[in-house]
Amino acid sequence: MTEDIAKLSDEEIVEIVREKDQEFYSEIIRRFEVKLARYVRRFVSDSDETQDVLQEVFIKAFRNLNSFDLKRKFSSWIYRIAHNEALNHLKKHNGRIVSLNEQEYKIIDEKLDLKKEMETEADHGQIKGALARLKEKYREPLILYFFEDKSYEEIGDILHLPTSTAGTLIARGKKQLKEILEKKYGKQ
Amino acid sequence: MENSEEKKIEQKVMTEIKSGRVKLRSKFVFLAEKLGIGSAFVLSALFAVLFLALTFFYLKSSDNLRYLSFGSRGFFAFLESFPYFLVVVFIVLIILTGLILKKSGFAYQKPFGRLALVLAGFIIVFGGLLTWAGIGERIERHSLERRPIGNFFRPFLQQGFGERNNGFAGRVIKVEEENILLQAPWGEVKVNLSKLEKLLVEEIKVDDFVLMVGEKNGDSFEAHFLRVITGKEPPLMRHGIEQRFPLPPAPNGENFEPCPNCFPPRQGTGTCPGGCQ
Repeated sequence: MTEDIAKLSDEEIVEIVREKDQEFYSEIIRRFEVKLARYVRRFVSDSDETQDVLQEVFIKAFRNLNSFDLKRKFSSWIYRIAHNEALNHLKKHNGRIVSLNEQEYKIIDEKLDLKKEMETEADHGQIKGALARLKEKYREPLILYFFEDKSYEEIGDILHLPTSTAGTLIARGKKQLKEILEKKYGKQ
Repeated sequence: MENSEEKKIEQKVMTEIKSGRVKLRSKFVFLAEKLGIGSAFVLSALFAVLFLALTFFYLKSSDNLRYLSFGSRGFFAFLESFPYFLVVVFIVLIILTGLILKKSGFAYQKPFGRLALVLAGFIIVFGGLLTWAGIGERIERHSLERRPIGNFFRPFLQQGFGERNNGFAGRVIKVEEENILLQAPWGEVKVNLSKLEKLLVEEIKVDDFVLMVGEKNGDSFEAHFLRVITGKEPPLMRHGIEQRFPLPPAPNGENFEPCPNCFPPRQGTGTCPGGCQ
């Protein structure tokens, strides 16, 4: 049965959960837990709180499974729930956190194509600070683009934006992030 | 994430589901939600159309825009008689419609600016069509006849009938040396003509319909500029006056009152003896 489930798409599993067997929802949890935990951690630094947010995401997703349109992509739908839950958590705790690990700092360096001297001097704290200094409207699509490898269309679906707007925000966000970093390094 | 933590969340969530504490919400709940949001959107858009039509109706049928014919001197009278209530309600409805559209997420893939333009275009076009079809006249008639729909719109249509300080319109009922007595929507008003700077007609007669700007002075009104409205001008500015005082026929024998029983309204005689031709 495990092999059969693995072959099913997310949307097919959702259909089974809705119509036949709710136990299949555990497969959804298995598929998305790590990805969503990583995403939620960008906003929620505390590990226990991340777990709480994540649990709420899966419960909310299950409750609202009948509102999901099977013609759309399930991952975008559940990411949107995670996104909203993470933001609600931030609002409650008045935080503005961007948590990155070593590998992710490298991704930013690569994707922003920073100047050579900047790469060597790049202080992770500064990149984190620069990302945190970006306006929310730029930061959110950039996080999805950099670290979740989402396409413009998926980012649009998650953030409820037109695809073209998502593309524009990412381009402007990248530019601003680069400018913030170059300014900082330039002064040193 | 650690495997144990993964298991923990999966177990916790699945335990909640299996115990029945967490249940799938019914499809019908979402259907009802969608219908509710859709209805709210359609209703707010329709009301926006209706209020725009009423605003157009007020502007074309009241004395408001007429004060601008006095140039800058008529500006305060224009501001005083402007349909703020209708315009504010219209703007609130437009914002509400836009918010419902944005929050519902129905059309997030389309740029909001473009959607807002389409929505505004729809409201303006249909508002114009309803105005042309005479919906304002109909609603006003219902309002005056105290029918249920009319009662709802009555507060919005009452604007402009209150006492004015900078300019008003009325029918002449008495002419004296330096004064005239006018019938205005709120009652009889004595108008002092001693400060009249420019009279656009040679003579004022009883039953003339006049429009003036000036200032209120105690119980009377000092007219600075005055115009007699002739039968050749659109009769619609009699709005508010004609509803209260039956107007006599115009000098050339025609009566410009819109025939009350015709829809869309047409110019006919006051009692429509010849039908709505």
